[in-house]
Amino acid sequence: MKRREETIQVTKQPYIEDVGPRKIKSIQFSLFSESEILKQAEVEVFKAAYYESTKKPIPNGLLDPHMGPPNKNGHCETCHGNFRECPGHYGYLVLALPVYNVGYLGTVVDILKCICKCCSSILLNDKERREYLKNMRNPKTEFLKKSYLQKKVVQRCTAMTTGQKTVACSNCGYMNGMVKKGQIKILHERGNRFLDEPNAAIAHKREIRSSVSVPPELDPKTVYSLFKNMSDEDCELLYLSDRPEKLLVTSIPVPPISIRPSVFVDGGTQSNENDISERLKKIIFANAGLLEEMSDPNPYSRSLNLWINLQMEVAQYINSDVRGVPVQMQATTPLSGFTQRLKGKQGRFRGNLSGKRVEYTGRTVISPDPNLKITEVAIPILMARILTYPERVSQHNIEKLRQCVRNGPNKYPGAKFIRHPDGTEISLMFSSRKRHADELKFGYIVDRHLEDGDIVLFNRQPSLHRMSIMSHRARIMPWRTLRFNESVCNPYNADFDGDEMNMHVPQTEEARTEALMLMGVQNNLCTPKSGEILVASTQDFLTSSFLITRKDTFYDRASFTLICSYMGDAMDPIDLPTPAFIKPVELWTGKQLFGVLLRPYSKMRVYVNLTVTEKSYSGKEETMCPSDGFVYFRNSELISGQLGKATLGNGNKDGLYSVLLRDYKSHAAATCMNRLAKLSARWIGNHGFSIGIDDVTPGETLVKQKQGEIDRNYKKCEDCIQQFNEGKLAVQPGCDAAQTLEAEVTMSLNKVRDDIGKICMKALHWRNSPLIMSQCGSKGSPINISQMIACVGQQSVGGRRAPDGFIDRSLPHFPFKSKFPAAKGFVAHSFFDGLSATEFFFHTMGGREGLVDTAVKTADTGYMSRRLMKALEDLAVYYDSTVRNASACIVQFMYGDDGMDPSQMEEKKGRPLNFSRLFMKVKATCPPGGEKSLSYSEICGIVNERLSYHDMSPEGGCSEAFRASLSDFLIKNLAETLKKLREVLLLGEEQYAGDGREYLENIALNISGITKKQLQVFLNTCISRYHLKRLESGTAIGAIGAQSIGEPGTQMTLKTFHFAGVASMNVTLGVPRIKEIINAAKNITTPIITAKLLSSSNLTVARMIKARIEKTLLGQVAKSIKIVMASRLASIVISLDMETIQVSQLCIDAYTVKQSILTSKLKVKEHQVKVLNPRKLEVFPHADKDKLHFELHRLKNKLPSVVVKGITMVQRAVVNKEQQKDRKSDVKGETYELLVEGTGLLAVMGIEGVDGRNTKSNHIMEVQQTLGIEAARVSIIDEINYTMSSHGMTIDLRHMMLLADLMTYKGEILGITRHGVQKMKDSVLMLASFEKTTDHLFNASVNGRDDKIEGVSECIIMGIPMQIGTGMFKLRQCVEQVELNYQSDPMIS
Amino acid sequence: MVETLFEDIFTVTQKDPDGKKFDRVNRIEARSEQFDMFMLLDINTEIYPMCVKEKFMMVLASTLNLDGTPDTGYFIQGNKKSLADKFEYVMHGKLYRISEEGSGKHVKADIFVSFGGLLMQLRGDPSIAAKFELDQRLFLLIRKV
Repeated sequence: MKRREETIQVTKQPYIEDVGPRKIKSIQFSLFSESEILKQAEVEVFKAAYYESTKKPIPNGLLDPHMGPPNKNGHCETCHGNFRECPGHYGYLVLALPVYNVGYLGTVVDILKCICKCCSSILLNDKERREYLKNMRNPKTEFLKKSYLQKKVVQRCTAMTTGQKTVACSNCGYMNGMVKKGQIKILHERGNRFLDEPNAAIAHKREIRSSVSVPPELDPKTVYSLFKNMSDEDCELLYLSDRPEKLLVTSIPVPPISIRPSVFVDGGTQSNENDISERLKKIIFANAGLLEEMSDPNPYSRSLNLWINLQMEVAQYINSDVRGVPVQMQATTPLSGFTQRLKGKQGRFRGNLSGKRVEYTGRTVISPDPNLKITEVAIPILMARILTYPERVSQHNIEKLRQCVRNGPNKYPGAKFIRHPDGTEISLMFSSRKRHADELKFGYIVDRHLEDGDIVLFNRQPSLHRMSIMSHRARIMPWRTLRFNESVCNPYNADFDGDEMNMHVPQTEEARTEALMLMGVQNNLCTPKSGEILVASTQDFLTSSFLITRKDTFYDRASFTLICSYMGDAMDPIDLPTPAFIKPVELWTGKQLFGVLLRPYSKMRVYVNLTVTEKSYSGKEETMCPSDGFVYFRNSELISGQLGKATLGNGNKDGLYSVLLRDYKSHAAATCMNRLAKLSARWIGNHGFSIGIDDVTPGETLVKQKQGEIDRNYKKCEDCIQQFNEGKLAVQPGCDAAQTLEAEVTMSLNKVRDDIGKICMKALHWRNSPLIMSQCGSKGSPINISQMIACVGQQSVGGRRAPDGFIDRSLPHFPFKSKFPAAKGFVAHSFFDGLSATEFFFHTMGGREGLVDTAVKTADTGYMSRRLMKALEDLAVYYDSTVRNASACIVQFMYGDDGMDPSQMEEKKGRPLNFSRLFMKVKATCPPGGEKSLSYSEICGIVNERLSYHDMSPEGGCSEAFRASLSDFLIKNLAETLKKLREVLLLGEEQYAGDGREYLENIALNISGITKKQLQVFLNTCISRYHLKRLESGTAIGAIGAQSIGEPGTQMTLKTFHFAGVASMNVTLGVPRIKEIINAAKNITTPIITAKLLSSSNLTVARMIKARIEKTLLGQVAKSIKIVMASRLASIVISLDMETIQVSQLCIDAYTVKQSILTSKLKVKEHQVKVLNPRKLEVFPHADKDKLHFELHRLKNKLPSVVVKGITMVQRAVVNKEQQKDRKSDVKGETYELLVEGTGLLAVMGIEGVDGRNTKSNHIMEVQQTLGIEAARVSIIDEINYTMSSHGMTIDLRHMMLLADLMTYKGEILGITRHGVQKMKDSVLMLASFEKTTDHLFNASVNGRDDKIEGVSECIIMGIPMQIGTGMFKLRQCVEQVELNYQSDPMIS
Repeated sequence: MVETLFEDIFTVTQKDPDGKKFDRVNRIEARSEQFDMFMLLDINTEIYPMCVKEKFMMVLASTLNLDGTPDTGYFIQGNKKSLADKFEYVMHGKLYRISEEGSGKHVKADIFVSFGGLLMQLRGDPSIAAKFELDQRLFLLIRKV
């Protein structure tokens, strides 16, 4: 901004202190007054036109050059800057009459409700007013409380004037009626009684017959004057930070041209104006018309209509979607208003402020390359020539950079720009590159092309978790695709069917370092969701490992050494192991190859010890498993087992790579993956692996077996159907006959496919490719094989068999009401056979459901993730190990109760260490070496001593749970087994010495003994490793938690229902259930109370309690309900069926029924019911004689539905049988519990016989109401956990704890919805960027909110580094004061 | 003569007790005459066929060197004279597990050896197991009798 002409010419430039870069500390929201608008404006705009015919903008028009240059050729007349320099200036436009601002309309109505419409004083009485004011003025009252108080005041005042009520103002006595919000207008209904007097007066005049009616509208002008009269104190009471008259629009600031650019089209003949300009033009028109009419002396003007017109235009200027605009004023394509600019996904907040466009990025198709390391990404030269990195010239790189400069921008490796330290930039496109290369000096910055080893960020959308964007090292390669190792497909969820991925090049050394350390692939091998390994071998790598490690693969010297050389780039030495066969021929086995892969040469000190059970494990005999399914690595040698997905694949916690990662850090795991990738890609290339038609052709025996299986199940179904038709089918608990039939038929048909799958797996030759793939876990399942070869199986739609699309049948090819398998979507053919027409149709039905489900689910989970992220984004671990939000409110005192990092948890259930594995490793890697085994007491002594050290105490940072589990493992498991072993071997408690049975000691040591050294090493490793697993301070654990819960949502497949123990009792599952929990929904689809019983083993007691819980109606227990008409009075006599009551063990007699009738909604009084005897009672109607008959019949109809026993909210209860195995005695005990469908937890708990302390409900809000907030917290955790685990997903409990804590930490349950988030966060910008953008902004300005830029969203919007992670700590440097020497310099020193 | 760790004559009682799983490798079940040992052993029958009821002598040794010098762990090819010369089938592997079975007087010790994935389970009196150490490198030598 240079005001060239207007600068005051001073002889001396004023001194301006340089305070360094300024930082935005907070943003204050307030209202804009008319005077401020005028002050800020440079020009008045009153001409509704753009350009003159000469294409010059009209002065005082909408494109007045005072507001900035309208196009590239123009100049700004205010600052004289050109199109690029001028930031734009405001104009103003004065309205003839005030109008409402639609954004503030609600607030205006609220204020009007509270004040007198005559004298503007508040309607509350003085005492109340002072009370509220006192609360409002309390400096401790925070925003939420204040807005609550304000709402309270509005409520109090509205209550005075609801309906036809009017209230007299205590100040002036004016009668105030109800104030209502109309469509962009405000109504004040005072009733017609005020018009009585004028009407009466008029009535005397004959000429005018009609009565006077005053429109009940409050026009903006009156409102304006009312507001002007309001006292400041009243404003404060209504939580207005500013004068209320500012809420009305009296003049409009015309925004600078730069935000509403005018574009010439058609070669400059026409201009295309912005929507805002167009709208302003309309406003000016309307305003001009109004002004003209107001100046018109004719009193019968139609000024009101034009005023409304202006109001509508101004309303649409702010929000073009505003309701209440007359149809004739609505354009076909509405001009977007300011609200539209801000809100929505593409709006200013979400589209430009929270997400910004960046430079130095690339995007293309991806493809696989197993020869790359997992940390690398191949970047095409084409891309590398465009993306640059600014490298500073130093003595180490000057020659390289000189060459780059010489090559220029078009030849790789080249450079695009040179920047001098003084800021001058030289493009190397045209200028003489040779000279620049020679003139290159230290300190210059060269924007060179990307080269090998540069750090790039690599990303694939949808970015559901933090592993969706990781940093790789660049490898510049020819051709046109981005390539990476297939092992890294998993975290990105990428495949190569045409996927595209993005890459970004960080431009500073700091950014590169941070990217490498925090986002590097090596440092993200594990998912923080559960601590499972995510980057691991896939597909072909698994197949080839599986084939290599087969028991009967042998290699001679030539082929073994060849395969060894496949592993690397011939850079590592390889020590050849001793062959497994020495005679008759020298042969190595494939398993030995894996020994070489893990530990190629003896100097490499990697000793892997692990045991894994693969899919094929028979379940007994451990290593001696006949199908070789037990994988055992001992000191980096593969002892036994055929490797498959469990060992090498992802999603496992004790696979090979997990063990390498935990014991030997990420580098070892990464190199091992690299070696395996190279080895298997090359090996399988030689070996060959393909699939053909003969792989899916069933053999003769298989066809026979399949037919037999199908026939058997068809028979079973037919039998069931027959039984059903005869009515002999035994009914399952909680079902009727039809449901039972359906359940049984469905069960047996669903089993067919699995059974045939098993048969296929057995019958196929081991070389069959699909079989190999499904066995090793690289692709496909037995079901897939079965579908291809034998039988496609039952098709289901919505969890049941194919529904009836026609009357009483699924398709017209079948008889009516047919329940046979084929008529209900059972596909007996295989894909190889081909499907029949009906089968094909059923198959498409199932297929479509899958497609629809995925389409719907992605939208649902996406929104869920977004909400979770917004609610949890600012939670981080602070240096005092608490979890707090941005405004430093504590959410958890210790993250997950132990402060552990979920991504580093080794044990399956989320505990920090897997002791038994670690113990095995210690024993294998530290051989006893002649030391004696410890005895039971010695072990206890050493363990207890070590556990008493400082680092095992809570002050030393060790959780009680860990300490307990460690001592439990050592004393209970280890020492006890040793004790038992010694008993078995007939050895005593203490060591034998000099006896003949010394050899037994040796055996005992070898089997399960432990030496002192081993025990010490074990203890120290456990403890030191535990302390390394603590969560680092600053970790954005909230964001991680949100991703960990949001990401699995996308994988939740169909299966929205699940049987809770009993068939027919469904529980909602999957995304809908998670949504319910997170939203804290008041009504959930399947509320179920699980009631444990005090005497859980007795079935009759369980039935009795069930009967008490389930509601029993009078009609069910009454023998008769009769109307008895006597001569003097009529009544209804109810006689109870005592037999039924006895049988179902209900404690009902006439007395209890009387109580039930009295408490029911029949409005029967005490004296109307008379108990005749314990089984009979009489009800007298209470009515006039003429209505008596109707009353009698009404009662007779209503009485049977009176609930006499049970809980009204309960739909039904089912007794659930649970098999319980007692481990000690092996006696199978059956316990019973009740599953109650419906709500009413309190009532269920209160029923006699129910164990109230162990009764649970899945309705979180109800739990909160009955048991309190802590119980609700636990039930949130349990419910999320249950839902996730029933979909086979493991999520660390700590994430769910954090979510539950966030939802409950305010003392009430806050859902992760806009209402809940509003109460959790107090940043306006954050809320505005979430949902209801403009509402939050308008309210913030009314209340004068102050947004300290603390949270994540706000910092991103303002472009400030956020206070999380590496931005959490502040670095303060102690700089010594510079002593200034004001003495004259000594001439000679 | 070199000291061997175990020497006995076995008779094959059964072949593939759990059914045939692999083309070239068979698991044989054998009992010994002298120490009444029970053995399960995976044998590469492609290069060394073996049938039920066949008798063979089996030796376990920690080195093939005739002078008894311990095995280096590195494999050197060459035509040096060794213990293997007298045998037809020689395998090299590692002892990975010792465990016990039964209790009291009938207690038996198991030793497990893996020859590059081909496994051996040798069950017998604990006194025999006492000679072996975990992680010991072993040579298994077989000669038909």
